[in-house]
Amino acid sequence: MTMTTDVRQAVTARGLKKVYGQGDAAVHALRGIEVGFATGAFTAIMGPSGSGKSTLMHCLAGLDTVSAGEIHIGDVEITKLNDKQLTLLRRERIGFVFQAFNLLPTLTAEQNIRLPLEIAGRQADQVLFDRVIETVGLRERLGHRPTQLSGGQQQRVAVARALISKPQVIFADEPTGNLDSRSGAEVLSFLRRSVRELDQTIVMVTHDPVAASYADRVIFLRDGLLVTELYQPTAQTVLDTLMKLEA
Amino acid sequence: MFKTTLAGLLAHKLRLLLTSLAITLGVGFIAGTFVLTDTIDAGFAQKFTADAAKISVAVLPKGDDADRQQEPILTTGDLAKVRGVKGVADAQGIVQGTAPLIGKNGKVAGSRATSGISITEGALNRTVITKGSAPAAATEAVLDKDTAKTREFAIGDTITVLDSKQVKHQFTLVGVFDVGVNQELSFTGAVGFTADTALRMTGAKGFREIDVRGGDDVSPEDLRASVTAALGSGYTVKTGTQLADDLAAENNMDTSFIRMGLLLFGVIAMLVAALVIYNTFNILVAQRTREMALLRCIGATKKQIFGSILLESVVVGVLSSVLGLLIGLGLGAAALAVLGAVDAPIPTGVGVSLSPQTIVVGLVVGIIVTVAAALLPARAATRVAPIAALRSQVEESTFRAGVLRIVFGALFLLAGAAVTAKGAAGEPGQDALLTVMAGGCVFFLGVLVLAPLIVKPLSAFVGWLPARLFGVPGKLAVDNSRRNPKRAATTTVALTIGVTLMTLISVVTTTTRATVSEQLNKQFPVDYMIGTQQHDSSIPRTVAAELRSKPEFGAVVVVRETEARVNGKSVSVGAFTVDPEFKVTPVKGSMKDFGPGTAAVTSWTAKDLGVTIGDTVKAAGKDYRVVALLSDQSSPVYGVNLTEQDFDAAFPRVMDKQILIKVKDGVATDTSRRIVEAATEPYPSVLVESAAETRGAFDEALDMMTMIITGLLGLAVLISLLGIANTLSLSVHERTRESALLRALGLTRPQLRRMLSIEALVLGLIGALVGVALGVTFGWAATQTMVSDVIFRAPVLQILGFVALSGVAGVVAALLPARRAANASIVGSLASS
Repeated sequence: MTMTTDVRQAVTARGLKKVYGQGDAAVHALRGIEVGFATGAFTAIMGPSGSGKSTLMHCLAGLDTVSAGEIHIGDVEITKLNDKQLTLLRRERIGFVFQAFNLLPTLTAEQNIRLPLEIAGRQADQVLFDRVIETVGLRERLGHRPTQLSGGQQQRVAVARALISKPQVIFADEPTGNLDSRSGAEVLSFLRRSVRELDQTIVMVTHDPVAASYADRVIFLRDGLLVTELYQPTAQTVLDTLMKLEA
Repeated sequence: MFKTTLAGLLAHKLRLLLTSLAITLGVGFIAGTFVLTDTIDAGFAQKFTADAAKISVAVLPKGDDADRQQEPILTTGDLAKVRGVKGVADAQGIVQGTAPLIGKNGKVAGSRATSGISITEGALNRTVITKGSAPAAATEAVLDKDTAKTREFAIGDTITVLDSKQVKHQFTLVGVFDVGVNQELSFTGAVGFTADTALRMTGAKGFREIDVRGGDDVSPEDLRASVTAALGSGYTVKTGTQLADDLAAENNMDTSFIRMGLLLFGVIAMLVAALVIYNTFNILVAQRTREMALLRCIGATKKQIFGSILLESVVVGVLSSVLGLLIGLGLGAAALAVLGAVDAPIPTGVGVSLSPQTIVVGLVVGIIVTVAAALLPARAATRVAPIAALRSQVEESTFRAGVLRIVFGALFLLAGAAVTAKGAAGEPGQDALLTVMAGGCVFFLGVLVLAPLIVKPLSAFVGWLPARLFGVPGKLAVDNSRRNPKRAATTTVALTIGVTLMTLISVVTTTTRATVSEQLNKQFPVDYMIGTQQHDSSIPRTVAAELRSKPEFGAVVVVRETEARVNGKSVSVGAFTVDPEFKVTPVKGSMKDFGPGTAAVTSWTAKDLGVTIGDTVKAAGKDYRVVALLSDQSSPVYGVNLTEQDFDAAFPRVMDKQILIKVKDGVATDTSRRIVEAATEPYPSVLVESAAETRGAFDEALDMMTMIITGLLGLAVLISLLGIANTLSLSVHERTRESALLRALGLTRPQLRRMLSIEALVLGLIGALVGVALGVTFGWAATQTMVSDVIFRAPVLQILGFVALSGVAGVVAALLPARRAANASIVGSLASS
């Protein structure tokens, strides 16, 4: 923790490097990234395949270790934590939405939503729970198991689960990657609503310009470096930027 | 296809090894059994051959070899005749009888009379004197080394031995010898004398065997012919080689019993191994659905898929059987080493080896069991549709109980229960026991079929506490344990087999113990039992008379029995002591009417003689009126029981076989013991045993048996634990992404490990609970077939121990899979599909 940490930044990364392998076989996935994610903002990370966007998210979320640099989530420097501390941090401060396989097949939708709280041994805020359930529109489906839900419904359950513990930041990894465009739009507007109404911070990795257009800001990666960013993007501006990057 | 299968196998070496281990252990045990018994046989044969090399010809009395305990009928005249045969260099008679050694406490040593044998002089001596020298004079004797050690006699000591008329003789101990592989001598202990002294001491009227050494120019065959000619018929004359062969063959019969007994456990182990293999292949097929579908997409036929799975099982079978044979070799060697270390009377010094027969049996059994167990999973693999390759997520297998399954399961259960009930309710006896066993097997089939149905409620029951105690990991674990009921069922049934049998054995032994001691207590709570070593020798009547004169004793019951003709049939007749303390409740009639001139007859004898209450029985020329019918299981009660006076009048020469004493309340144990010992002191062959000692010895024997059987069943349990480990590690593999998700959501590594341990715990407990329920039920049914009034006892602590051990073992089995799951990288696991 340093004195210069900006409290309005939910997540910051400085000089972030990640190298896989050694010697000749070394792959430099991240080559020194400086980035901050503002509290209460919806940020999308984009970039061509192999640009390091997923690696960046994994490192930011404490799922993967870094080779150099430091990451702060709130006032905690997560790059200094051990596995156990990281686990507890994820429990308390981070929510996840993955592309697929977000839910435990043995649990009902409601049990899945409450799972992070149960793991942390915390009580659910009933008001928040009701509000989240209303927003997601899953009241009738709470008793269903994942196999009885559609893909879009499953992702909405996953988002609800991420929201319920009021995390400092939610990381979403291609949350609409497996969905048709209508279900995808539902999930994305729901993510944006939770930023507006619940003041949630969301960082989303995606390769879909339409999905990115729901964000407040898009950052672009290429070859492990942050190359540019867009505020208040539209699908068209995102697409244009990507085209330039690929060229 | 062949190459694909092999490549697949090689890519999963660890999985292959784990799968093989179950079969390896089973085959190892079976092979070990053969190695052990083969080696013992070979050792005996070698020993007999070595002995026989000293003998040219052996003369035996005619008759079955097994009956050689009977009076020898080779006389000194026979010996003289043999010595007179041309070509005979030396001939010696071998004497064996009883010559009870008196221990340092002045009483005969051991519960069986010591054998008295002749130590042959010269080249024909087959006894190995390990220390000192052979007896050369009538005042010298040798002892076998175990007896010398336990009775604390050293060379130079004076030992006292009773002759056949119970007269004491003293000898100087000049040496100790090794009984070698002679089971009988090693059991009784032995004193060796010169031939003449042996004849005198044992009271034997002749020799058991005459060993002949021929001159250098006579072949054994020729000598055999000339000895036979000299003796005439009525003798068996064998050459040394023939004798060795016969002895070895006789001995092989004994080892074949051991072999059959051990193989039974091997079969149980293989059965469990088959379940484990079946389950493993089922899971592997389920996990490789996409792989199979892809193969089908690119043109593999159903037949090829089926063949590929079978081929995999053949490779597993061959590999594990070969490993099993090696383990068997080690097990056999280890067992021999242990037997050697405890001084068992078996030959040592023969190296262990795998006979071709063992190799064939091991390979065939291992491969057939493996392939047979993989047949059903292989068939399931052929049902995978090619389209499955395109589905992104493998469906969670859901289990629906088919009507067929329920109907068949219920039928098996009902049939098994009915047969068992019939056996348990019927007349006690071996047929009833076999009926119960058959019923048990059928019932178990029913359990096997219905297991997937009962796993769910059972896991809810067993998991109730862990789910509450261990929070989220506990709840998830209990859910996981029942998400695939079929898999869970097969995994736990494998454990159930072992636990069922262990529980059954401990129930049966505990019940037997309780029943026997209750029977003794109910009829006559004995404090001391006075008896003799040999059943034919008797206690002088003065002993009972003296004991009866002591005010410290409440009741002194004598056991006096003889075989006599009653109503023309030979039955056992006994004296019955009328005493208020000695209660026998008749089946019919009343013991109140029992007195001089009357008889109490057991039901069975009454049926045999065709008499009932009111009829008369005629014994020793006198009529007795039957006043009571007694239960066949009462003891000490004989076929026909007369009052002591009537018995003594009818059979005045019969002495006491046993005296049972009940001490009055309030008499100190050491006082009563002193009085009893003083009364028996003049008679060294009369032994005193307190009830506690008798029960102690009985308990010890039962405990020993239980321990050995439980230990052997342990193998089956070990294999089933491998099954749990295997199932769990495959499930962990299947749930890689699930585990990663949980970790991402904040489950710590220890929590994830705990979750898997609890799942294993629940599986272990389910298996154990079903096993205990079955074991207790069928143990009860089995004990019902033994005697009519059984005191049923379940060894609660022991059974709880089995349950606890199964749970712990399950947790241990989960250690490795849990570690692997916990240490997996989250990012890597999330990415893998």
